[in-house]
Amino acid sequence: MLRLLARRTRAQWPLLAALLAIVTIGATLLGTCALLVTRTATQALEVVAARADADDVKATAYTVAVRSSDGRSVAADTRDVLTSALAPFPTTTTTRASSVMRSLPIGPEVGGMPAETYLSGLDDLPARALLAAGRWPRATTDPAAAPEAVVLESTARMLKLSPGSRVHLGEERSLEPGRALDVTVVGVARPLPGTGWDRDPLAGAGYDLAYQDGRSTVHAYGPFLVDLADLYASDSVLGRLEVTARPDLSHPERRDLDAVTRNVADADRRLERALADRVRIQRVESRLPLTLDHARQQQQVTAAAVLAVAVLGCVLAATALALAGRLTAGVRTAESTLLSALGVGRGQFAAAATVEGSALAVLAGAIAIPASSASHAGLTHLPPLSGAGLAVGPGVNGAQVLAVAAGAVALAAVLVVLAIRRAPDGGERHHRRELLARSGADLLLVALAAIGWWQMDAQPTGSGARADAVRVLAPALVLTAGAALALRVAPHALRGVDRLARKARGLAFPLAAIEAARRSHAMAAGLLIGLACAAGTFGIALNATWERSQRDQADLSVGTDLTLTLAAAPRAADGAAVTAATGGTASPAVDRGIAVGQWIGSAGEPPRLVAVDTTRAGALLRGRLDGDRTWADVGAALAPPAPAAGVPVPAGAPLAITGTATGGTPLAVTPRLLLQDATGLRTACNGETIPLDGRTYRLPDCAPVDGLRLVAVVLPVAGLPGAAGGDIAVTLTVPGAAPASPWTATSAPPEPGQIARPAVAVTGTSAGTRLTMTATVQLTGPEVAARTLVASAFPDPGPVPVAVSTRFADELNVHKGSELSLSIGTTPVTIEVAEILPTVPGAPGAAAILADVDTLSRALAVTGNLEFPMDAWWVGKPARADAAARAADLYLGAVSTRAAEAARLAGSPPSAGLPAALRLLVPAATLLLFAGVVLHVTFDLRVRAVEVARLRGLGMYRREIRAVLLGQHAGILLPLLMAGAVVGALATHLVAPLMVRSDTGAAPVPAVVSTWPWAAEAALLAVLLAGCVLAATVVVVAQANRADAAHLRVTS
Amino acid sequence: MSGDLAGGPLVTVRGVHRSFGSGPTAVHALRDVSFDVTAGTMVALVGRSGSGKTTLLNIVGGLDHPDAGTVVVDGAEVTGLDDDGLSQLRRAKVAYVFQTFGLIPVMTAAENVGVPLRLARMPTAERERRVELLLELVGLADHGEQRPAELSGGQQQRVAIARALAASPRLVIADEPTGQLDAETGLSVMALLRGVVESEGVTVLVSTHDPVMMALADRVMRMHDGQVDP
Repeated sequence: MLRLLARRTRAQWPLLAALLAIVTIGATLLGTCALLVTRTATQALEVVAARADADDVKATAYTVAVRSSDGRSVAADTRDVLTSALAPFPTTTTTRASSVMRSLPIGPEVGGMPAETYLSGLDDLPARALLAAGRWPRATTDPAAAPEAVVLESTARMLKLSPGSRVHLGEERSLEPGRALDVTVVGVARPLPGTGWDRDPLAGAGYDLAYQDGRSTVHAYGPFLVDLADLYASDSVLGRLEVTARPDLSHPERRDLDAVTRNVADADRRLERALADRVRIQRVESRLPLTLDHARQQQQVTAAAVLAVAVLGCVLAATALALAGRLTAGVRTAESTLLSALGVGRGQFAAAATVEGSALAVLAGAIAIPASSASHAGLTHLPPLSGAGLAVGPGVNGAQVLAVAAGAVALAAVLVVLAIRRAPDGGERHHRRELLARSGADLLLVALAAIGWWQMDAQPTGSGARADAVRVLAPALVLTAGAALALRVAPHALRGVDRLARKARGLAFPLAAIEAARRSHAMAAGLLIGLACAAGTFGIALNATWERSQRDQADLSVGTDLTLTLAAAPRAADGAAVTAATGGTASPAVDRGIAVGQWIGSAGEPPRLVAVDTTRAGALLRGRLDGDRTWADVGAALAPPAPAAGVPVPAGAPLAITGTATGGTPLAVTPRLLLQDATGLRTACNGETIPLDGRTYRLPDCAPVDGLRLVAVVLPVAGLPGAAGGDIAVTLTVPGAAPASPWTATSAPPEPGQIARPAVAVTGTSAGTRLTMTATVQLTGPEVAARTLVASAFPDPGPVPVAVSTRFADELNVHKGSELSLSIGTTPVTIEVAEILPTVPGAPGAAAILADVDTLSRALAVTGNLEFPMDAWWVGKPARADAAARAADLYLGAVSTRAAEAARLAGSPPSAGLPAALRLLVPAATLLLFAGVVLHVTFDLRVRAVEVARLRGLGMYRREIRAVLLGQHAGILLPLLMAGAVVGALATHLVAPLMVRSDTGAAPVPAVVSTWPWAAEAALLAVLLAGCVLAATVVVVAQANRADAAHLRVTS
Repeated sequence: MSGDLAGGPLVTVRGVHRSFGSGPTAVHALRDVSFDVTAGTMVALVGRSGSGKTTLLNIVGGLDHPDAGTVVVDGAEVTGLDDDGLSQLRRAKVAYVFQTFGLIPVMTAAENVGVPLRLARMPTAERERRVELLLELVGLADHGEQRPAELSGGQQQRVAIARALAASPRLVIADEPTGQLDAETGLSVMALLRGVVESEGVTVLVSTHDPVMMALADRVMRMHDGQVDP
């Protein structure tokens, strides 16, 4: 038998080579996918770690209430804990500490308000601040000497300090107060944005005139930045001591990252043990485990999709082998019959088939291992893997070898099963049985596909990232079932053509149609061709769908083209700077969690408030909307009826205020002004308390830049205890002329009745524009009453119109026209639902509210709250290519862009595996399709050689024979290709949106929309068609040329 | 060139040589074969397997080319025709009946008979009438919609004869038409061919081993080792 096998191999080597090629393609696809989900996945995690933002991998230990004498040891022990948790990666650490508040005897006291200050020490101060004057502080060597200190510019300005100033700091405000001490100011510094000043007790502002120190409201100034050694020696209680460790992850190993993830999670417990009772509270915080877990989740999402592609490739290869096996059995029918007649049993046939199959599996495996390594290496050198930093040379790993071996054996087993299957007896009963079995198999396939699709469709929107069998198998099931169904339809269509062709007068068309419609083996390659075409078109469409979803997610996630999330409070000049840097439409934006009434959200997610200048919503907002609505339409429904004109305030203009009051007791006001720039940014300018004594007072420099307009003035009225009140008249004079604009006066809640007859008049004089505000103030009555007169360049907006997300509307059961109350800080604002949106830009999938930032600010201002709600700058349509870099150079905060987010989602190392696998699927499907076509037409050549010769005997010209054969193959291949494309399109519509998940494994927001890239699909179909035509033409020409007497001689 | 050759030779073969292969292993299938076939007669070509019968028939029908010699059929020199000319000759003047019937398996009996008529682009209605007549002639009027696999061997060969007669050829070449049939069926097929010669006036050149066939032929030519016995 072995000798027979050897001889048969020599005689049928082209056929065996075709079988080997198909097994090799299938095994190579599996091996490559195995490398993508193992080697590339591991490397992706390492690249994510290496590329992570420093803030995402640092670990910070916070300790509270440390005695200064313990400061040094606590810092050292904390450093040890962090460094060991991050081992074996080299780590750099920084320390910052701040004392608790202590009294500041030199501080100005207004209305009896005390002043406080504090000490801070940073071991990397020069990296966090810019020296404006003097020098950095040095550690004092003489214990009796006053420590050297640097103060921030704003502190220096408020306290009138300069290098050389000596400041006496009083005792600490604690149960065991540290002693008073003097410090010598040696420098003045400007804090650098984005360098951690948000951790400063005064957030780097330098002062706070309404600081809550836990017992009362005080004026707070500081910090006095001293050397850490001096801080430890200052006999202060360290209110905060922070140690930050930054690991160097430039060359990470997967196992080290896994170890660090575990160690950082355990660092809290170790720190508690190490510090014991030297601190009151300690905590270690690090986003490193979260960053790595997020990358792992992304990998799992990608792995599920890559495995689905691998299964699809495997089904394709098995289908190709089934075809090849059937054709091989057909070719060997005579040989098998002869051997059976000579007494060869089924066992011997099975043994021979197993030997042949095993040899094919071994050979295919031996080729597929290096081929898959090379294919994987090639893929990694193409985008997006190359762009994700995942390019590698060819390599072999265990999972790959296992996948290749299993794939080759499984595919070879298909051949063995087909070879030892009992040959059909050709009887009617057998034919019926076969038809019944095939129908049953088709039905089972359709049922499984339907269940798979239903399972995918029903998976929860927040399902996990881990790959499950349904997500892996369902796409292949749906495509195979679709191709099988299409194969059932194709013969009916061909029979229609057959009926039509019979009426024709000539022979070529009818004969081609009859051969295509009636020949039993005509559709032998149908499933493979249909499935391969469906898989190829589906692969391209899935890739396009996935890419579009990434862009859609990025659009909605960022919400606009460029965002700049503020690290510190905005300044009046920022709007012009952002506009100049980006060249786009800039708007102040709110993006924060809020409480709506008593509702603070569900599942730990507070409702989100997003507010921008909605008069420019069309230019600012991004994200897919439903129906024909545009963001401009939505914005128009939310925007205020008219802009606030206000009173122009020239840069550096001296603002003067004067006031009078009737009654016997003196009254005073603390004027607060609200100014607006061209971008809509509003900044408050607070004046000192002035008595209403008829004298003129100068307000602070409220307009540091040009282009500001005064839009509101708030005058809290105060008097000495026992005062009854009276009529007040306050006049604010702004240099320069102002166009006439309506102003409104009101009394701020609560208890607005304490101020009666509020009024405001705007007049132009030679000295400038005068705002005269009058009212009758009643100081008696409830203590909680505000007694605040508000004059504004806009009326009370009433309920703020908002658009809410569908989720918000569903969770709160609200609809258009519903009124709700939300809290901005401590101020309640009434809102009215004007629109319901699928989702709100910047808050994808969240219960969120979209509002106009101007209207929100107006609603706050009329209550006397001049806080301008702002968390970020949103910029639409930036004109400059380097807008992001220039915005970052402003040091206002973190910059993110829609384009960068889309690139991150589509090209992040853990996600890049899917498009790579799809790039592999399309050529693999194409190759297998061509293999099927070649097998099909070659088999036809063998079967019909004599018939074609007889047609020549009947007088057909060779060209007519060629036309008949080509027509016949075209009649079969074209409908199959078209049917495959239709199946691919349907599968894209049904399955592709369900296969695309967000990087956490949840359903993406916005919902995925299937995409059918016509140009790419047309190109693929053109290639498939050209390949089919070429293969068929070559074989047909050879067949027609060989149709001569020699063939007739064989049988006749 | 197809003049009135009634009683004259329809086929003239002169000095035909045909060999396969070359050198010492060459097989000389035909050696200096010459003969005439009178129009309207049935000539039986007999001889053992390998004697050159099929080669000679293929050369007369233009399916094969002789190494030397000439063949003239109905005034047309077959050996001088190009590929298209040979096809035209078979389409208009020469028809084949194969030992294995040579029917197109996916076509019905009627469709098979209609193949030469479609090649001649005969109008559909006329074609259908002609097919009906021919099926009636061969006794298969009720089997027109059956496919070859649904017919017996004799019925299939009758269909093949009907197809051969469809385009009214001058010459029918039949290569062992009863080779796959039992004696009784073979006799009926031979009787049919004989009847066709007499009723349609066509010339039949048939190779056979069948003595009955020889008895029905007007002339018997014996072949031996590539030569026609005198």
